[in-house]
Amino acid sequence: MNTALAPVEQLLIGDFWVLWYAKSNTYSIVTTEFKLLLDEYLVSESKTQFLNSLCFEEDKELQNKITKKVFSYLQSCNSPYTIPTNLNSASLDKTKRYISKQYTFKNKTVQVNYCSELVLKTIHPSIAHYCNISKSKVDVFFDVYLKENHLHLFKNEELISYVPKKDYHYIQGKFIMQLLCELHNKTEDDWIGSLHGSTITDEKNSILFVGKSGKGKSTLCALLANAGLKLLADDVSPLHSKDQNIYYNPSAISIKQGTFKLLEPLVENFKNLPIVNFNKTKGDLKYLPTIKPKQNNYPCRAIILVNYKSESETLLEPVSIKTILETIIEDSWLSPNPKHAEQFLNWLKDLELYQLTYSDTTSVIKEVSNLFKEL
Amino acid sequence: MKKENNTDKITRKEAISKMGKYAALTAVGTFVILNPLKAQTSSAPDPGGDPFS
Repeated sequence: MNTALAPVEQLLIGDFWVLWYAKSNTYSIVTTEFKLLLDEYLVSESKTQFLNSLCFEEDKELQNKITKKVFSYLQSCNSPYTIPTNLNSASLDKTKRYISKQYTFKNKTVQVNYCSELVLKTIHPSIAHYCNISKSKVDVFFDVYLKENHLHLFKNEELISYVPKKDYHYIQGKFIMQLLCELHNKTEDDWIGSLHGSTITDEKNSILFVGKSGKGKSTLCALLANAGLKLLADDVSPLHSKDQNIYYNPSAISIKQGTFKLLEPLVENFKNLPIVNFNKTKGDLKYLPTIKPKQNNYPCRAIILVNYKSESETLLEPVSIKTILETIIEDSWLSPNPKHAEQFLNWLKDLELYQLTYSDTTSVIKEVSNLFKEL
Repeated sequence: MKKENNTDKITRKEAISKMGKYAALTAVGTFVILNPLKAQTSSAPDPGGDPFS
């Protein structure tokens, strides 16, 4: 019955089934009891057969209620997925090139042309530590400009993205994705997704730190990077299809004003980092550059849900896949390709999942360092 | 139609019958549906903040 609505991928991870629906690129987390009823519904030849399997024949109303709920769930999981398209076919406006910056990474030199100081602040501060003034051969050109209330991103004169100016974070995300493709010689189709979280490595394994805004992810990563571990990616952690490794994202760690005082005595030169004020509601930011790990990519062995809580003890405890996915899926881009969805689920299955509550900086560093040793 | 073997079928039917009607009703209300973003982004800005206005 309605097998066309069935999930395409399904995997039991801990106590929960994680299901993936191809039509909508939707992930669903259900209990084993739900899964039993769903499977029975999907294999039943007819509604009557499903109702019969529910045993409690005397309560037809309840039987119908359950059937309706399962059907409505399946409908919700199958609403068609539409990829937003760039309706604008604008060609590059070279008169918008007011500021040009060059960034030299290990193997590539990138030039970004900006139309104003304000637009420059969308991209430049996070990669400013790679900026240089020597004019070397440029491998890739980007143009970022504001025109008719829309931000435009071009790569080698080809329009990559076009969004209303208030959605500037999509331009930032697209720029980082294109930069990652260039630095790692990949195409956008090679990535399982870009996960919302920061990744730290001991140059053998890596751990992805996730959590809602303000829960202390970036602060923790700054502390860990200062203690000798290496930052692999801040905010956007790209997961590659071929090896299911997380790859290096060159962006510096974005630190909010509320944490400046905590980090000043702990991180050398933190006080001297320039203050960036771009979005007034976000307040002042500082971008903390860190030392690049030796390799470009490392296998991820654990996901930690970060929970800064004033005056709490440091506590690392196991957490369910449900809690982790509820935190990351809706803030991450995940490829709708069925191969990638299967890889993503298999990748999740092998990870250790924790919640880390902390307030004390010394003990949290020790806790994470110990976890790295046990991985 | 999904392929399945008879053992699975019996086990599932037994499990459903053991579940009871109220547990079954609770079960169908216990799920999470999550949709990833359709395009790459950086951290979303806090509501109300438009640096370009």
